[in-house]
Amino acid sequence: MIKENNIKFIFLTISVLLIILIFFFPFFWIITSSFKSPEEIIATSTTIIPRSFTLEHYNKILFSSDFFIYLKNSLIVSLSSMIISIILSLSAAYGLHKLKFYGNKFVEYSLLVTYAFPGVILLVPIYLLFAKINILNSYFALIIVNVLFATPFAVWMLKAFFKLIPNEIEEAAYIDGASRYVVISRIVVPLAAPGIASVSIFCFIISWTEYLFASILISGDNLKTLPVGLASIVGQYQIDWGFLLSGAVLASLPVILLFIFIGKYFVSGLTEGAIK
Amino acid sequence: MKKNNIEGWLFVSPLVIWISLVILVPIYIAFELSLFNIKIIGTTGKYVGFDNYIKLFGKSKFITASLNSLYWVIGNAICQTFFAFTIALTINYKFPGKKIMANWIILSFIIPTVVVVVIWKLMLSSSSGVINSILIDLKILDEATGFFSSPNKAFISLVLINSWRWSPFLALIILSGLNSINREMYDASKVDGANFVQQFFFITFPNLKSVLFVLGLVGTLLSFNIFDIIWLITKGGPSSATTTLPLLIYETAFTKFRISQAATLSIITSFLLLLFSIIFIKSMAPKEDD
Repeated sequence: MIKENNIKFIFLTISVLLIILIFFFPFFWIITSSFKSPEEIIATSTTIIPRSFTLEHYNKILFSSDFFIYLKNSLIVSLSSMIISIILSLSAAYGLHKLKFYGNKFVEYSLLVTYAFPGVILLVPIYLLFAKINILNSYFALIIVNVLFATPFAVWMLKAFFKLIPNEIEEAAYIDGASRYVVISRIVVPLAAPGIASVSIFCFIISWTEYLFASILISGDNLKTLPVGLASIVGQYQIDWGFLLSGAVLASLPVILLFIFIGKYFVSGLTEGAIK
Repeated sequence: MKKNNIEGWLFVSPLVIWISLVILVPIYIAFELSLFNIKIIGTTGKYVGFDNYIKLFGKSKFITASLNSLYWVIGNAICQTFFAFTIALTINYKFPGKKIMANWIILSFIIPTVVVVVIWKLMLSSSSGVINSILIDLKILDEATGFFSSPNKAFISLVLINSWRWSPFLALIILSGLNSINREMYDASKVDGANFVQQFFFITFPNLKSVLFVLGLVGTLLSFNIFDIIWLITKGGPSSATTTLPLLIYETAFTKFRISQAATLSIITSFLLLLFSIIFIKSMAPKEDD
């Protein structure tokens, strides 16, 4: 017994340390590097503790680049995609969860398989379609595809949260004469609020990080999103690392801030809600 | 439970219509394009029937990219299963800082892919990367190596980077499955003298069936679709070693400007993925008990 616990303890310690090293150290590294002098970033001998401190990269990106334009575009696209995704998937998830109807299994599996079609496979035809109906170079073009990417998983997560709501509460409300609409808006949605919060974050993240379609469907500089703006620096022959790193940190900041406030719902939602 | 057809479809139809329009109309357009030989977007071409399809199977680029995609999916599945289970099983234990780790492990998933690219391009840089200098300090390497310079190294590095991004997210989903396993089963097995390896294979793993089903299906399709990490780091190189089907489609359409060929590739790829999904669902779907 004691022996087994010792082995467990050693395993646990090693894996905790490895997880910290592999999954957290890189963040420490780029954040500290974004405050280093350009010479130190590209120095051949690297030290873990920074030797220099400068704000020049942040100065440059905030005051002499298009950062705020990209930020605004990313926020508009991500927030709109998130709101539309949530409305559509709430309704679909409730339908799939509560109302057994002809074809519900088919819809459910098709939603999962929908993950097969997004991505580059749709890129060419969607480009042509959007060109035909004249919505290339608009927020709307990006919102349409982001909703497609976010909703299948969102429905699946929401369904899991709905399962946690005891059936009796809803039944009691119906007996009291409440309509379907009242039950959904007064009982189901409030009780599933943590779930809805986590699904919202998921939808926001999907849109916030989307690069491929944003890089093809948008050509005007004034409509580019943050990932596309950043990627254009990555592609340069001589990379300005300080500039790029501060941009990377700033582009991650909004999702991290969002996560500080409602992240625990996301994680507990994912870990406690799903699949029961 | 009684069927509720009209109301049920009313609830799902907005999403179903949205998704169908955004998938089916483009698929139809792609199919139409694949029957012509159109090169640059906006120009017209002549009708060639199924010529594009027939030619495609003789193209070595298509075969190479298909194989690369296969290796990519398998490599990612192995790596991500390993990382995700390690993370999930670790977080499932109590240790100081567990809450913080559980909340923030997903950081690599919530940041934009482009940032993932920036992080690893800097850390793995051959001239000034911290990984190189750590490996040299530990005497594992004699001199700095280029992690993206040879076909094999580039492929493996990309698989690891992509797994780094996705594993924490998968870990949380596995954790949800772990949480739903009845604790008493572990206690009972302990009484019977099972060690934790046996517990993993006889209790944990079988009880994760429905989680693993979804992860197996969605995970495979998601890793198949990965484009940006590969494109932004290696552009498919060196010598096409990291050109998977998504990259081949992109290249064909937007750098070689052969729209019809790209459309043909898209149709064949969709067909393959659909086939995979149907077989996977038919053979692996867990029995419904709710």
